[in-house]
Amino acid sequence: MQSSSHAAGGALPVPRLAGHFASLEVQNHAARLGMWLFLATEILLFAGLFICYGIYRFLFPEAWAAASRSLDLTLGTVNTVVLITSSLTAALAVHYAKDGKNKAVAVQLGLTLVMAVGFLVIKYFEYKHKFDIGTLPGRFYSYEDIQLPGVPLYFTVYFCATALHGIHVVIGMVVLSFSLVRALKKADFGPNNFTMVELGSMYWHLVDLVWIFLFPMLYLV
Amino acid sequence: MTPSSSIAAPGANPAPEEHHDHHPSYLVDGTTIKSWLLTVDHKRIGLMFLFWVLVFFLVGGIFALLIRVELLTPGPTIMDAMTYNRMFTLHGLVMIFLFMIPAIPAVFGNFMLPLMLGAKDVAFPRLNLLSFYIYLGGATLALWGMLNGGLDTGWTFYTPYSAHTTATVAPVLFGAFIIGFSSIVTGINFIVTVHTMRAPGITWFKMPLFVWAMYATSCIQVLATPVIGLLLVLVTVENLFGFGMFDPARGGDPVLFQHLFWFYSHPAVYIMVLPSFGVMSEIVSTFSRKNLFGYRAVAYSSLGIAFVGFFAWGHHMFVSGQSTFVGGLFGVLTMLVGVFTAIKVFNWVGTVYKGAVEFKTPFAYFCGFLFFTVFGGMTGIALGTVSLDVAWHDTYFVVAHFHFIMVGATIMAFLAALHYWFPKMFGRTYHEGWGLVSAALIILGFNATFIPQFLLGNNGMPRRYYEYPERFQALNVASTAGATLLAFGFIIIALYLTYALVYGKASGKNPWRSKGYEWMSESPPPTHNFVGPQPVFPEEPHFYVDPKKAEVPNAV
Amino acid sequence: MGIANESRQEERNMREEHHGAGRYWLIWGLLLVLTAVTVATGRIHIPTWGLLLALVIATTKGTLVALYFMHLADHRGANRLVFAVSIIFVVLLLSIPMVDLGTRFRGATPPGSTYSDLQAIDIGADAQEGRYGGGLRKEGKMGEGSDVNKK
Repeated sequence: MQSSSHAAGGALPVPRLAGHFASLEVQNHAARLGMWLFLATEILLFAGLFICYGIYRFLFPEAWAAASRSLDLTLGTVNTVVLITSSLTAALAVHYAKDGKNKAVAVQLGLTLVMAVGFLVIKYFEYKHKFDIGTLPGRFYSYEDIQLPGVPLYFTVYFCATALHGIHVVIGMVVLSFSLVRALKKADFGPNNFTMVELGSMYWHLVDLVWIFLFPMLYLV
Repeated sequence: MTPSSSIAAPGANPAPEEHHDHHPSYLVDGTTIKSWLLTVDHKRIGLMFLFWVLVFFLVGGIFALLIRVELLTPGPTIMDAMTYNRMFTLHGLVMIFLFMIPAIPAVFGNFMLPLMLGAKDVAFPRLNLLSFYIYLGGATLALWGMLNGGLDTGWTFYTPYSAHTTATVAPVLFGAFIIGFSSIVTGINFIVTVHTMRAPGITWFKMPLFVWAMYATSCIQVLATPVIGLLLVLVTVENLFGFGMFDPARGGDPVLFQHLFWFYSHPAVYIMVLPSFGVMSEIVSTFSRKNLFGYRAVAYSSLGIAFVGFFAWGHHMFVSGQSTFVGGLFGVLTMLVGVFTAIKVFNWVGTVYKGAVEFKTPFAYFCGFLFFTVFGGMTGIALGTVSLDVAWHDTYFVVAHFHFIMVGATIMAFLAALHYWFPKMFGRTYHEGWGLVSAALIILGFNATFIPQFLLGNNGMPRRYYEYPERFQALNVASTAGATLLAFGFIIIALYLTYALVYGKASGKNPWRSKGYEWMSESPPPTHNFVGPQPVFPEEPHFYVDPKKAEVPNAV
Repeated sequence: MGIANESRQEERNMREEHHGAGRYWLIWGLLLVLTAVTVATGRIHIPTWGLLLALVIATTKGTLVALYFMHLADHRGANRLVFAVSIIFVVLLLSIPMVDLGTRFRGATPPGSTYSDLQAIDIGADAQEGRYGGGLRKEGKMGEGSDVNKK
């Protein structure tokens, strides 16, 4: 939304003020408010899946309990810890961006991305296990050991929710990598110019927020 | 009070383009195709939306006429049953997603919002352009799907049929999903613009009421659209892979689908109608030359409609199998919306009362709008009564009700806005006589089309039915005749407005002598809306009569 | 020209404050502790109330993330309003269909799934099994040993 240019004389770089905003502050506030509104839409998006979860858990409590026990709680807990820590590093990246410490920003964003990859790798293994034993959504369900009404529906909700979440993890990674590249190449984040990192980090926190709710709902019925 | 842009010498009436050598109007500032396709000027984006919105209105209208022709006879007339299903699905989808939802917000909201706030553009101009291309991309995908084996589920694509039908579901629903993003982006843009870009002096309660309406509409767009987005993806996935989320055979609940669907689609009708209320507030003040009666009430009622609109969705599901408790709950909550709408109607009438009315084309549309809003709204309240809806659900009564609001209210307002802001957007005037003639044709044609449908519905004719008993034919023929009249009205508008675009007289800056904020800039405005420092707005908008100085007590 | 577009109120609301980094580490620690609590209390599968407890803990964690990682504690005004309003509508979307399911005609839903069936004894379950999951039937593996399957 804004590009930065080095001010003459080596002063702290200031991003370009778009002509229709009154001041840089207003521009930053507008960007932040816009991002919050976008996050509100993401919250409502996941809410749709949560009500599907709620309805079917209410209708099929035994199936939900049994199917949930077939998930690997250890992997799920590790994923939760990984995501929470990546949220920390994202918040620290914004903190260092405000201070103008571009190297530190790059380190923190790099760690965030590494942990995001870790999350996806663990998810991959979880998915693979499910494909192997046959706990798949809807008409693809073929796991002999749990045969209760509503179990395939659990896995429909599971796959839809975690896949949607995974897509958002990937999107978050793409957004954060833009900031990472900029911290490495242009290295011009500073007290006047950290909005890009902040917005990406806000998106990442939302991804974490959704998982904070998904984890107990799916793994700890 | 006036912006410090160059002012024409009194009495001079040059063509708009020559008026400002150094500050050309936005229409001519950059004449290459690229300057239009890659513009970030909210006015040009609004015009591009206008073009496409009108194209899709034509497409939807053609399908409406085809439906009405088919319904001329009780049996098959010009098509078979499957094709008929596709016709009404396409009519609904195109009209709702491609025309009604973007119409006033994306065209007039985009154009007028910054002008009304004294801003140079919306908060995120490039995002605005992206919204336009997302809209076109989604529309292309959806239309391609419709024309290639098209959807036959009705625009409401209820499960389980939509999950099992062999008609093309995926591209149409996914196209609608993409269009949803356009809606969300526009909403975000407007909300941020209103929060952060008001000129000095424009406090929240000095904003034009059109801005209030657009703000409330944008709130709905941001909150409701994601839910339908998710639902579209879920149904597409279910149709393609059989995941069984809403399939009773796999334990799913079709009523859950309906909850999710109407959670968006009911607020969506307020996305369609709230902007039209905002337009009317502007027009009624201008053409009565009177301050709007009860400004705060109207402003708050816009927010009220947006808020309460979210609580009423179950009134589409009274006979669906949801619990009777919740049915009763929704029946009561639905009544609340009527309160806020009634507040607006009373305030508009209060504005006209003892005003100096100029009966121009926009005001003619206001008259039609008022009649149709009141009757559409009252039939809506009647439908919201559970016991009555049990008989009326899925009949032509419902069809007539929502067309009264969508065509009667929203399209009247769209046409009114088009005529009211035509000089602002193009710097030209149209032929007033033809304007009034086509307004009359449209109002009469509309009545002739849809009042028979109320009667049909009350007599029991179901909607979306291809064949019907003989005894319903007379009213169906009457409705089709009315539709033809309606079509003539639109054709005449298209003709004289196009003529006015090319050969119309220059309008001057403010042909209506309106005191709305947007008229303080030139008509058509220069690219950055204002030349020089940001204008100051010491008075509230539409401040025709100062209550303290009025000759007559209680003038406003 | 530096004419502020926002009102002075909004300008005050959005003023940035720059804390030290320690805050984030503290919140991270709290989140990990709460995660441990979630797992510990989740594993014992408390019937019925386990769901409520899990939701309360998750809400606490979410609030911490929103307030401190996303700086809502610093920014008063529009940002908080946006977040709060979205949560209100999430609650609306979640609650009304649940109320619908809970109050439906008994024949339309599986036995024991409606509000009027809250008595565990009615559905052949005992106190160990919660309405919202958590407990398993005592005899045998999943699904075996229930009265429904017995002839």
